[in-house]
Amino acid sequence: MINPQDLCTRARDLLASGEVRAVVGYRRGSRGMAAEPVVITKPEEAASLVWDPSCVHNLALYLVADRKRLAHLHQTPGKPIAIVAKGCDARALVVLMQENYFKREEVYILGVSCESTGVWDDQKLMQRLGCDSQSLTGGRFDGDDFVVTTATGEQRISAPECMADRCLECRHPFPTMNNVVLGEEKARTLAAPFAALSRFEEATGTQPARWAFWQRQFERCIRCFACRSVCPMCYCEECIVDSITFTVALDTTAAEKANRVRWIQRSATRSENIGYHMTRALHLAGRCIDCGECERVCPVHIPLRLLNNKLEKESREKFGYEPGVSIEIASLVSSFRDDDPNDFIR
Amino acid sequence: MEESKMGDNIYLPQLARVIHIKEEVPGERSIKTFRVEFLNGGGFDHECGQCAMLSVFGRGESMISIASSPLDKEFKQFSIMRAGRVTTAFHDLEVGDVIGIRGPYGNGFPVDDWRGKNLVFIGGGCGLAPIWPVIQTAVKRRDDFKHITVFYGGRTARDIMYRAELEKLRSTAEVCLSVDKAEEGWEGFCGFVPANLMEKAPSSDNAIAITCGPPVMIKFVINNLRNLGFQDDHIYTTIENKMKCALGKCGRCNVGKDYVCVKGPVYSWADLKELPPEY
Amino acid sequence: MERMLAKEQIGDWIRTLRGWEVFGPVLQDGVWSYQPADTVQLDHPNTAQPPKGFAFPQREVFFTFEQIKGEPPRLTPVAPKGGQQVVFGVRPCDARGLPRMDRVFTETFDDVYYRTRRGSLAYVGLACNQPPSPHCFCKSVGGSPVSTEGLDVLMTDLGDRYLVAAVTATGEKLMQAAGDLLTEPTGVDRSEAGRLRLAAITHPQRAVNDVASVPPRLKKGFDSSLWEDLARPCISCGICTFLCPTCHCFDINDETNGSTPLKGSRVRTWDSCQFPDFTMHSSGHNPRETLGSRLRQRVCHKFQYFHENFGMFQCVGCGRCVAGCPVGIDIIAVVNQVAASAGEG
Repeated sequence: MINPQDLCTRARDLLASGEVRAVVGYRRGSRGMAAEPVVITKPEEAASLVWDPSCVHNLALYLVADRKRLAHLHQTPGKPIAIVAKGCDARALVVLMQENYFKREEVYILGVSCESTGVWDDQKLMQRLGCDSQSLTGGRFDGDDFVVTTATGEQRISAPECMADRCLECRHPFPTMNNVVLGEEKARTLAAPFAALSRFEEATGTQPARWAFWQRQFERCIRCFACRSVCPMCYCEECIVDSITFTVALDTTAAEKANRVRWIQRSATRSENIGYHMTRALHLAGRCIDCGECERVCPVHIPLRLLNNKLEKESREKFGYEPGVSIEIASLVSSFRDDDPNDFIR
Repeated sequence: MEESKMGDNIYLPQLARVIHIKEEVPGERSIKTFRVEFLNGGGFDHECGQCAMLSVFGRGESMISIASSPLDKEFKQFSIMRAGRVTTAFHDLEVGDVIGIRGPYGNGFPVDDWRGKNLVFIGGGCGLAPIWPVIQTAVKRRDDFKHITVFYGGRTARDIMYRAELEKLRSTAEVCLSVDKAEEGWEGFCGFVPANLMEKAPSSDNAIAITCGPPVMIKFVINNLRNLGFQDDHIYTTIENKMKCALGKCGRCNVGKDYVCVKGPVYSWADLKELPPEY
Repeated sequence: MERMLAKEQIGDWIRTLRGWEVFGPVLQDGVWSYQPADTVQLDHPNTAQPPKGFAFPQREVFFTFEQIKGEPPRLTPVAPKGGQQVVFGVRPCDARGLPRMDRVFTETFDDVYYRTRRGSLAYVGLACNQPPSPHCFCKSVGGSPVSTEGLDVLMTDLGDRYLVAAVTATGEKLMQAAGDLLTEPTGVDRSEAGRLRLAAITHPQRAVNDVASVPPRLKKGFDSSLWEDLARPCISCGICTFLCPTCHCFDINDETNGSTPLKGSRVRTWDSCQFPDFTMHSSGHNPRETLGSRLRQRVCHKFQYFHENFGMFQCVGCGRCVAGCPVGIDIIAVVNQVAASAGEG
């Protein structure tokens, strides 16, 4: 089991020795015991780092943000940046490196193994305890359990009861790509791969029923773009589907600005919302490492993970491809094999 | 709701026909001047410095300062730099095309308070357009004001807008033109507008300075004006921000508590320096 | 006017409201939202979104246009769908959003779309006997769990019955429609309601410290480095603003659906000051380019600028932006930290 203190010590040493310029990790926020992302640059700040089941965020996002910020300032990265990475976070880094967003040596991976558990899901906690992590005063890993502190005292919960679906189905809870790793690599079977997707497909049955389900989901999308903003793979400087990320440089001509196609209108209507979500899902095919952040952050609970899972399942069954496993292999959409199936081309 | 109740619709533009188009400045950042007249007996009065929301239907709306004098009642004039989606659509218009127009919006220059004073105008680039109605009004009411000086500069001679009008202006006002770098055939000042200002060093005595242009030019001009002895409340400028409604509601043009579309665009430096620099 | 209503009769009351379209909180696909309802069961937490959209929908078509090149276009204003709407179960904080939106949309330039929708809208509120969220802070910003501001009727849950109190003339009309369903409260009813109200008001909440000093302190703290520090985890999504009962920023675009002749609509949609290019000029210059400048805009708009312009805070303390932020940016903590640091200097 990981002693969170070890994480602080490692981070402090990395900063004190000057090996890295910053550490991206988690700290306690102001909302109950829920963790929040933090970027620290001074050794004395390392004591504020935490590791507990509320460390749900995929921090790879902040390396992308850091890269964009430096590019904007025309600065070179210099020393590596360290990141506290769970198995899923490390898989995201693998994809980003496969796509040449970073070089391996630019990132110091301070791995944390989820061992036999994972992070929790606020909605499941709410059902189990009647409150979410933002109301808890304490929470920690303890073997196969979570131990939480509520107003009425400490409680032990069997972790799988409140774990996020993505963690239950996780096949790589250990960050294989790392510079250093805390915790052990543990074999486990909590749920079959794509279990939630299978349940959904069984429950909805026919294709028309599934389409009706998705129409209802997309109908309520408010286009806050949190799903895209939180996704480390959605790093495009300019997203083709909306008007909020137009990149205008000094040399962008009026014609270029004027001729930008608005593929999707800003109106949060069903058709526009479907266009947005479908485009995004397709752009994540073979790239989504199932951190489930898009689904977690959605303020109107659209089960986006099911969409991405569907495409991951296809890429696995049709192409034997699993994203985020190794930086040595070519990414799905940039590689071709003679025996790739082509029966879908008509 | 019945149609009749939609009468007072602040978002519904009036229609106006383009009656004249003049290319002021060629090139990538070209500027064209459009003269429009209202259809169906529409129209509105405006003050010097006020703006209007102009539409090309299907492309959208842009906030543009009204470049004609309020004393010209038959038409309104707008000088538009081709910069983005809507302004490019304007540049594609032909005489006879119909546009949408709503306004007037924002405040105006307190021209009436300036009677009996010397006026010093300092413009750069397309920043001549917002102060042009003041210049026009001052010329039309020439006896109300004392000495009038107009400083204006472009990057090159080709970038000088209202060239012919500026030449005509020399009969009633002192006109000091400049280009950023020396070029053949140029007889005016070579260098930036703030430098031209310092070279001529107009007196701040009983004078009002009105400046508009690129933000960096305004910054140096104001600095220089203060060095010339102009008081903060005798220096006027206009600011601009991205706008969608022009009605103080859409939330994007605010500088601190002020919505520029309502409280601006005209500010004295005395007022502007109290606001955060978010423009 | 104060009356009593048995809980099981709320559907009967709703059926008496002829000519009104009735909405109530409904849980569907894990999301609480206001939906058309024949009856309502008021055991909801905060709805995912406030009822802001009834008066200020996310999408509003201003007018349609049709234009043959060279000819004058035909503009046809699109009036909001008529008809009176009444929303049951509105939380007092959310209701306080409405008078704040009124200031923006009906003063200076009167917005006919907002005014029309607002004019045919009634809120039947539910007092918060228990705080519906751990991040409720209505008391810090001039509200309370039993506030009536912005409501037409306030209901208080007394277990098996409601105390129903009219706030406005519209509220009285809604209650009069109920006829005999509503009965005169007894002394027991009144004392029970009084006890619950006191408990609600004294229930501890998170708090903005010394809120009266906040506007001047934020003004002083404009250049504080805390803004960038606190905004560093921000992902620039629109959750905090789209879930806010008072955020009113919008975009206006032309949506075309034909080119010869040109056909389309001019449409207003919600927009967010947290989106990176919200304030970007056509030139690419952006006055609020950084995460910190955008967080400062959101916080100062609510706690300083709006206060300077209208003498009231633009935050009602519902806590949605706090609970919903994907990365833990917490407006209570931000205000407290910036105000405290500005107070020191």
